[in-house]
Amino acid sequence: MGKVRVAVDVGGTFTDVCIFDEESKEMRVTKVPSTPYDPMIAVMNGVERGQINLSEVSLFSHGTTVATNALITRNFPPAALVTTRGFRDILEIRDGTKDDLWDAYKDVSPAYIRRRDRFEVTERTDYLGHSITRLDEEEARKLAELLKRRGVKTIAVCFLNSYANPANEIRMREIIEEVIPDATVSTSAEVLPEIFEYPRFNTTVSNAVLAPLVSGYVNRLADELRDGGYQGDLLLLHSGGGSMTPRLVEKFPVRLAASGIAAGAISAKHIAQQCGYENAVSLDMGGTSTDISLVAGGELRITQEWQVEYGHPIIFPSIEVLTIGAGGGSLAHIDIAGSLRNGPQSAGAEPGPACYDTGGEQPTNTDANVLLGRLGTSLAGGAMTLNRSLAEEAINRVIAKPLGMGLEEAAQAIISVANANMADAVRLVSIRRGYDPRDFALLAFGGAGALHGVDVARELGIPSVIVPPNPGVTSAMGCLLVDIQHDFAQMFTSLVDGTDEDAVEEAFVGLETEASARLRHEGVSDENAILQRKISMRYRGQWRSLQVPMGSGPGAMEQALHTFHEEYEREFSFRQDETPVEVYQLHLSAVGKIPKPSFRPAESLLQEPTEPIERRPVYFRDEGWLDTPVYERDELAAGTRFTGPAIISQFDSTTVVPPSTRAEIDEWLNIRIHFEEKN
Amino acid sequence: MTDTFVPSNTLARETTLDPVTFEVLKNAFATSVDLMSEQILRTCYSFVIYSRDFSSALCDATGNTVMQGSADIAVHVGTLHFQCKAVIEEFGDDIHPGDVFAINDPYRGGTHLNDVSFVRPIFSEGRIIAFAQNKGHWADIGGNVPGSFDVSATEHFSEGLRITPVRIWSKSAYLHDVAQLLVSNTRAPDQAMGDLHAQSEATAVCEREVLRLVERYGIDTVTLAMQETQDYVERTVRRRLTELPRGTWSTVDYLDLDPGAEEGLVPVEVTLTLDGKGMHYDLKGGPAVKAFLNSGYGSTFSAIYAGTKTFFPDVPLNSGFYAAVTADIGPEGTVVNAGWPLAVTGTVAGPYEKIMNGIFELWSGIMKDRAMACSFNLEYLLVGGHDARTEDKARFMWYDWMAGGWGGRISKDGSSATAPVFGVGLAVQPCEGQERLSPVITNMHQIGTDSGGPGRYRGGCGIEKGGTLTDAESTVMSYCCDRARSITWGIEGGLPSIPHGVWLNRGTENERFLGSIFSSVPVGPGDTFYRPSAGGGGYGDPLERTSEEVLEDVIDEYVSVERAAKDYGVVITPINPELDEYEIDSEATTAMREWIREHRREWMNADPADVARKYCGGEIDMLDVIRRHGVILDWGTGELFAKTTRQHREQMQRRSVAHWSA
Repeated sequence: MGKVRVAVDVGGTFTDVCIFDEESKEMRVTKVPSTPYDPMIAVMNGVERGQINLSEVSLFSHGTTVATNALITRNFPPAALVTTRGFRDILEIRDGTKDDLWDAYKDVSPAYIRRRDRFEVTERTDYLGHSITRLDEEEARKLAELLKRRGVKTIAVCFLNSYANPANEIRMREIIEEVIPDATVSTSAEVLPEIFEYPRFNTTVSNAVLAPLVSGYVNRLADELRDGGYQGDLLLLHSGGGSMTPRLVEKFPVRLAASGIAAGAISAKHIAQQCGYENAVSLDMGGTSTDISLVAGGELRITQEWQVEYGHPIIFPSIEVLTIGAGGGSLAHIDIAGSLRNGPQSAGAEPGPACYDTGGEQPTNTDANVLLGRLGTSLAGGAMTLNRSLAEEAINRVIAKPLGMGLEEAAQAIISVANANMADAVRLVSIRRGYDPRDFALLAFGGAGALHGVDVARELGIPSVIVPPNPGVTSAMGCLLVDIQHDFAQMFTSLVDGTDEDAVEEAFVGLETEASARLRHEGVSDENAILQRKISMRYRGQWRSLQVPMGSGPGAMEQALHTFHEEYEREFSFRQDETPVEVYQLHLSAVGKIPKPSFRPAESLLQEPTEPIERRPVYFRDEGWLDTPVYERDELAAGTRFTGPAIISQFDSTTVVPPSTRAEIDEWLNIRIHFEEKN
Repeated sequence: MTDTFVPSNTLARETTLDPVTFEVLKNAFATSVDLMSEQILRTCYSFVIYSRDFSSALCDATGNTVMQGSADIAVHVGTLHFQCKAVIEEFGDDIHPGDVFAINDPYRGGTHLNDVSFVRPIFSEGRIIAFAQNKGHWADIGGNVPGSFDVSATEHFSEGLRITPVRIWSKSAYLHDVAQLLVSNTRAPDQAMGDLHAQSEATAVCEREVLRLVERYGIDTVTLAMQETQDYVERTVRRRLTELPRGTWSTVDYLDLDPGAEEGLVPVEVTLTLDGKGMHYDLKGGPAVKAFLNSGYGSTFSAIYAGTKTFFPDVPLNSGFYAAVTADIGPEGTVVNAGWPLAVTGTVAGPYEKIMNGIFELWSGIMKDRAMACSFNLEYLLVGGHDARTEDKARFMWYDWMAGGWGGRISKDGSSATAPVFGVGLAVQPCEGQERLSPVITNMHQIGTDSGGPGRYRGGCGIEKGGTLTDAESTVMSYCCDRARSITWGIEGGLPSIPHGVWLNRGTENERFLGSIFSSVPVGPGDTFYRPSAGGGGYGDPLERTSEEVLEDVIDEYVSVERAAKDYGVVITPINPELDEYEIDSEATTAMREWIREHRREWMNADPADVARKYCGGEIDMLDVIRRHGVILDWGTGELFAKTTRQHREQMQRRSVAHWSA
């Protein structure tokens, strides 16, 4: 029996399982309904449905929304914050801003720990790390005893300026652990040793409130898998796109905050690489929203700050994913001034698009796609039937009539507005960062991505579109593709000119020692450990800094400075060579290499497509109705080539290949669509 | 300044562009402006800009605003077109590709001198099709005091550098001599130079985007879409107005005082008329004050637009919106229409917020489901001097503002610890950052218990912040705020919150209450200061708040046990507060509420001198004086302000007492 690798991605609706056979190099996928009350049930159901023998599994990796959902639903155990006297409300005051600047009835959601559960203790450290007031131990002990009486299980200790000297936090933790031996304690200097109290406190508090639930879940799952015969480490995908073992999840559960969201982006990076693209934008379009991420120069864009709700930042490197309210179920409507709008409101699963015949009366993108013949009336292998006349009725009543348009014109207008909204969102993540979308490929996946992908690409001037083999389960595959990865940072402020390079080297060596120890703790052998230095710089007087790669040895600082000016110019279109540059922070990323599955390419034979399963009229914006062949995706072998118009149908997705484009099936069974050269 | 801002009254056309092209371009304009804002946030030098005190706009060829940034600070709303038009007026045909202009002139529709705009013309086919503009608050623009907030200024000459429209780039050539002149008149020339470049470059981002649209859609379609985007907004607003009642409504709010006159509140009267088509405001302000708390017409119009916009939160901001709003702000020489050369930098804490809250109150009666009582006042504390922690004793500027409470609402409590209505994106600074930069140690930054105005729905809670000076030499403290006397009010029977104002060495022998505006008070090592920000005013009669809601507030210490009884008439017995165990004494609560109902009107008529005496004698405290008796004192000395009290009681009768059940 060959060994298999298993990746499981738990989403809101479905839990997807990818099973990769290391011998045959083949991948199977299966899908089971998620079980939100205990996600582990769905995971184990997926294992069973996928007929996985756990003792034959060489690697089991997992992306989970457990942490994200806990943050959204505030499903937290009794938790408390212990902080410096006078600073009990840092979590609630935040920076005072609101997400919605104009709606005086839309408030920022409440802090993760209520005021009654936030406690103060007498202590104070100054900005240099010198003690102004030492920790009042008697008071600290009384407080620990009170926390015990209050039945608190997890505690965040967040003191002012602890990033400069963590001694008081550490002592406070010891006292709590003496009094409440089974408590989980997160200290801010350990979770995030960085300046600025509000983001540090909030990250630490997030860690504390997630600790029991997330590490509980992860440990239960690890046990269950072990009982089933799995002998390796369960690997958990973290927000930064790496993975970690349950041992570290116990300490830093907050790293899983965006675990589920990261998986799709990692797949995008893999597919882009497989297809030979350095740069790619992925469009993961589902029923209510679309996730957009960017691969540039072969790497995913990483953000240093992530939040699931406005006002509650988690400061850890996280894959940058922009989510917008455009999906198959987004509602088209006409606003009070007579303008056509699309989303962000969605018909969701209830009442659903009009064509579902489940009570929805408002037209959605799905209805427009059905009306135009882009989407067939039979979905999911016949399990679901769509009612075209209900779609017509809704579009006619809500859009066509009021605007004095024909039916097809109205449906096309709905789709065009949706595509334009997605294109605008792509511009925000690309142009905003100094990237020209025309240098990119577009990866379309999710249930609805391939219906819209080519049109969005055209809008952006992107020349090629790639639709992976299983667009509906692309995310799960991402979990198969990750290494163990940890990120470390240290404040280091000094002008580049005059920086003590030995001190920088020493600081990096310190970080490397810590990183190596952590990788060893996770069972990574030294030859598989890769440490990578980075450095944040800014022009003196600026507030934001820019991270660039950093080497070691003589000349490293000068090279980093050179890179900084270049990167700055790329991002912002100007540079200031005359202005002194300042070092702000040192970063270290520690990677524990895990052997990747090596996929086997299919043999590619240049060929015509097999017979279409049907032909049907499909409406295209510039050409109108065209008689269009519909192909079954599973029947399209590697090397198949044809020109649009065509529709490619498969179990979990439909791909539109418009006129003036050509499609090919590559050796990895991706559909690649290119625009015909204009003459 | 007569007809430059008088908008057209014609009803907007329907679009002639097809709906898809229109929607695409409208959104693309918004993206082009937001990209500009994003860049400035990431490249700026001024910490005030970094804290989001900036705005961006795309203006059309005539200077009207096509789209303003979605995350812009409120106080700039509706001023960017004035500044763009000033550039056009000044330079006419002498505007060329590659030019960039600077302007901050508050007498040509600007806000105050610190807000410096950079305006770049966008050319296509040899003609101007639009202007890209970025306005940002420079940390210093010269004048008498660090930070350029000179409270005692009466004319702009002592406030800093006034920049009438001036060219900084000419046909892509950088005019370093002009730029040098501007930044050399500030206390932080390097920083100002950094922002000058960052802001100018940011406008190029918008230019690039607009030219991309022109390439794709053609110049005629894009310029038509710029007009239709304005028409669209105007049409949206006018159609909503047809669904609202018609009539005329008036209110008055007050500034605390005119330092050049006797005690007494300075009125700002706001009247709104809805006729089913447009909205019209009439403003009447008291005579301009002998301080910098006056408003130029730019800020006044901004307050009108931003106040109104709060009731139309989803409508994009552009000149179409401004066209649906007309206003008569009266003759020059008043606090709401100062005119040259009166000092106006403090408008943001003065008339600006009074007009905004007055407008909130008027609309609260019209769109009842969006009603809101008064919110806390914008406040800035400046401590400036020399930092003796380092050998060179460099200049430091501890320049601080706080979040505070917003007014109670018809269906829920006010929002606590929120940025001011002046700019909801204005982020408060981290104490850890401040402590690195200045010899000031913060010893508290917390929510103020009992700071929210009592009401059926409580006002949001305010903040308390205090600090100690360490190694500070030759240091002075100044404060720019208001509402130590014109206290943040409740509506529909709700009660006021608490007064603003700074205390020096509170709780010691040297305690002094410095009030809500003061300038250059000397301070030194060891001195401590403390100031609260007000909570929001309450909405509705506090005696109708449920005992359970009051109890929850007591457990979280948003409300004290004492004030639960005094303000809400809810008697709560602490059983074991450490474990959140309290009990509502229902019988005592009924009795207490009855007793308050019976006496509260007569308390509001108590002899003010008698109230002042009891305050000085310690029989009653500050909140009793304000919430029970409506009396205004000097909170430090206990001196009675008789005229102020009369004015304050008059408004409290109208906003609070008149709505109480018998």
